Amino acid sequence: MMSRLPRFVFSFLSLPRLGARFLPRGHAAFLVLSVGVLVVAGSAARAEAAVADLWPERLKTVVAVEYTTETELERRPAISFGVVADDEGLVVLPGAAVSQRFSPDQLQDWRVYRPGQSATEYSTAEYLGRDAFTGWHFIRIAESGRAGLRPITDFLAADPAREPQMTEEIWGIGLRKKDENFLPYFLQGRVSLVQALPMRTAIALTDVAAPGLPAFNAAGEFVGLAAGGFGESYIMLSNRFRGGQPIVLINGDESAAVQLAPEIVPYLERVPANVFGRPMVWLGANGVEPLDPEVAKFLNLEGQAALVISEVLEASPAAAAGLQPRDILLAIDGRPLPTFKPDRVVAAYLDREIDRRQPGDTLNLTVLRGSARVNLAVTLTEAPKTPIEAERHYFEKLGLTVREFVFADGVNRRQTPIRLRGVVAHFVKANTPVATAGLQLDDWILEIDGQPIKTFADAVERLTAIEADAARNEFVLLASRGGETSVMRVKLR
Amino acid sequence: MLWLLWAVALGVPAQAAMSRGFERLLEAVVRIDVREVAYEDGAQRFTSGVGSGVIVSDNGLILTNAHVASPRSVELSVTLASLEQVRATLIGWDHWTDLALLQLDMADAKRRGLAFTYARLGESEKLFAGQTVYAVGTPHGLTRTVTRGIISNPRRYFADNTGVRGYETGAFNTWLQTDAAINPGNSGGPLVTEDGRVVGINSRGYLGADNLAFAIPASTAREVLAKLTAEGRVTRSYLGIVPGALRDLEGFYQLALNTGMLINSVDPGSPAAAAGLRGGDILLAIDGVAVDGRFPEQLPPIQHRIASYPLGAAVTLRVKRGEASFDATATTEELVSRVGEEASLPAWGLSVRKVSRTYARENQLPDAEGVLVIGVQRGFPAQVAGLSRGDVITTINREPVTTLDAVKAAATAYAAAPQSVLIEARRNYRVSLYVLKP
Repeated sequence: MMSRLPRFVFSFLSLPRLGARFLPRGHAAFLVLSVGVLVVAGSAARAEAAVADLWPERLKTVVAVEYTTETELERRPAISFGVVADDEGLVVLPGAAVSQRFSPDQLQDWRVYRPGQSATEYSTAEYLGRDAFTGWHFIRIAESGRAGLRPITDFLAADPAREPQMTEEIWGIGLRKKDENFLPYFLQGRVSLVQALPMRTAIALTDVAAPGLPAFNAAGEFVGLAAGGFGESYIMLSNRFRGGQPIVLINGDESAAVQLAPEIVPYLERVPANVFGRPMVWLGANGVEPLDPEVAKFLNLEGQAALVISEVLEASPAAAAGLQPRDILLAIDGRPLPTFKPDRVVAAYLDREIDRRQPGDTLNLTVLRGSARVNLAVTLTEAPKTPIEAERHYFEKLGLTVREFVFADGVNRRQTPIRLRGVVAHFVKANTPVATAGLQLDDWILEIDGQPIKTFADAVERLTAIEADAARNEFVLLASRGGETSVMRVKLR
Repeated sequence: MLWLLWAVALGVPAQAAMSRGFERLLEAVVRIDVREVAYEDGAQRFTSGVGSGVIVSDNGLILTNAHVASPRSVELSVTLASLEQVRATLIGWDHWTDLALLQLDMADAKRRGLAFTYARLGESEKLFAGQTVYAVGTPHGLTRTVTRGIISNPRRYFADNTGVRGYETGAFNTWLQTDAAINPGNSGGPLVTEDGRVVGINSRGYLGADNLAFAIPASTAREVLAKLTAEGRVTRSYLGIVPGALRDLEGFYQLALNTGMLINSVDPGSPAAAAGLRGGDILLAIDGVAVDGRFPEQLPPIQHRIASYPLGAAVTLRVKRGEASFDATATTEELVSRVGEEASLPAWGLSVRKVSRTYARENQLPDAEGVLVIGVQRGFPAQVAGLSRGDVITTINREPVTTLDAVKAAATAYAAAPQSVLIEARRNYRVSLYVLKP
């Protein structure tokens, strides 16, 4: 669990956008006109006619999804786009559609809108959970709202392994905002580069689809899903930065990066068995850092990738198998780690190799320890409870939400050994008694009124009693922050 | 008419006092020009600054601030009241109290026949709010500037965790607050009473505020002066107790008023932790002597008392936890700063600082091994390899780094015969490897 990097680890890579640099769209049009108006215009018209024919049916594979995140103080709507995955109203949303800070029960009021149709009309849906391997969120549209939808699997390529080639034209769908009825619009670009990140990903010259929505080839075959968060490098010149300041711009509405169908289609059926996406395995190796090429050369490890293991978490499968901090991971199941560019992509590759497995599966690791190669058979187990699975309780009068202390909290607070005790201040309302006493978000509450907190239930019971006791003037918390504790006196009256 | 009389009444004796003691004091105040080395950019660079000081002995000992003169100072030039310049050397410094002690080059002074007087330390404990005081020093380089004010508060509490260039300060003493105008350059100069006695060493002020300035009391200066003179350093004991003011918590802890000190936190791995103490305990007595930490102002004396124990002393702590009280015995160890010794390694374009026990604890590192990268120079091997500020170098060519000298030796060897070096460094608990190449 801990070894997992953020899903969109590549978010801030700058990607080549060759055409945009050298040949702005206006110039392209001018060139086309001056070379041969009739021929070019004629073939373009034919291509457009073909896409226009393909458009209506493929539009039926996309929906706009709105849900409400309910927190202690507010309800906040969020919108993302998804692709229909089966005939029973299954919709796949990208991992970034839902913040990992919210637990599933805070995600409410799921609504599905059809592109271009009145936003007053919507169907309801049920949240099914997040898949541990792909990171995708799954929802199922209520039966009454499924008519007229088509699954993306209706448009699979004849050759399921085929990837779009460099220079190939691909196209997709963008959706406007809710106040424009999610009006669909056409996007198109030519494939500039196909790269493994570690998923095979086509980068087009221009944006080809909204993040989470499908891209198609000229024949209307499903090419892949657009991935959000890809940025482009620019130099910003201003009065403040006269020499220019490098910045990365990310288009949140459209994307030129498409994760390719051969690595999408097999997983569309990974419908989570529960909202938390369990079973979910973990290795328990924290901080896996890629070896840079100079170091690899120095260690005679050229021609493959390698990962330095920073920490091995206690009671983890990695610890049980004898993995040690500073081991350098060379191979999984006898296969050397493949090289990726940038180097750090290999860390995400390892995550995927772990996450695709089930509890009880074996992962055979080859590591370099000092100068010796060591083989370790790791039996993966169910990952410990995550912070989003942890129990929470909001005390409105106190202005405090406490959350169960889970294994990851112990890791983050550098506890060794990790003992699950105390509770975490998950939310602290401004200007309330606890806030005035100095309690802050993510503080680790260890004692209430001088007595250690044994379990989450214990904390809830005692705080409930304190909140209900109208005669109480104060109570005292002992909280830990950054390894230092502090006694906080909470004045109630 | 009345206010005129009042002014005259107060003014005349002051003038009279100035004729002797104050005159003498003025002869003892010096300007200090400092050139010092900085390691921040991965290379050795030099900066310069101006401060003040006061001569406190006939053999040319000068008291100033630790943030004026420190081990980083490479050149200390003292301007006497006669405007003659004499070199000085650092005898020692103590950032915890922001004091440093210099020795005037007496041989040179004698050869040149330079005369000076020395100031006498006064009794800072007897100061009262409203008492007239004078600050003498070199504000903004204006040598021999006298400003006047009053003691605004004789016992101001503050502890500044990064006060003296990243070094901790202020935990072991309260401060004198004055409204005498103190500006940059006044640092290290004396705060004196009308009779010319030094009651404080001017140290800091709130920038942008109107005359909120602070001085180290003479009582503290006297003690630090003695230790620096004798040993060149001030050694303090450490137990690892982070105190808190009890204020109104007596009721909660069922204590009589003015009894005990709240232990807010106990440093992991410290003597107090080993003795079984923890945050939320109440310290009732140290070696049988009762402790009163009701207000923040009362905490520095308690800290001072703990710090005054010799290293390795067994201290009996009477502790109250819940209903129960018990004795715990903790063995003192030396107090160390979070800022370790620094060095620049020009061959690698790297400046480093030894990881101290305190730094390791504050950053929750597993141990105090290694050196912290505090600067890298662009285009040099360390920066090219990917090292950056904040990395902790733990091994060099697979050898654990335990001392700063080990790193210096490796860099020197590299400079003599450059060849690739494998470095392991930790950043945010992540371990990475780097190769420094010629």
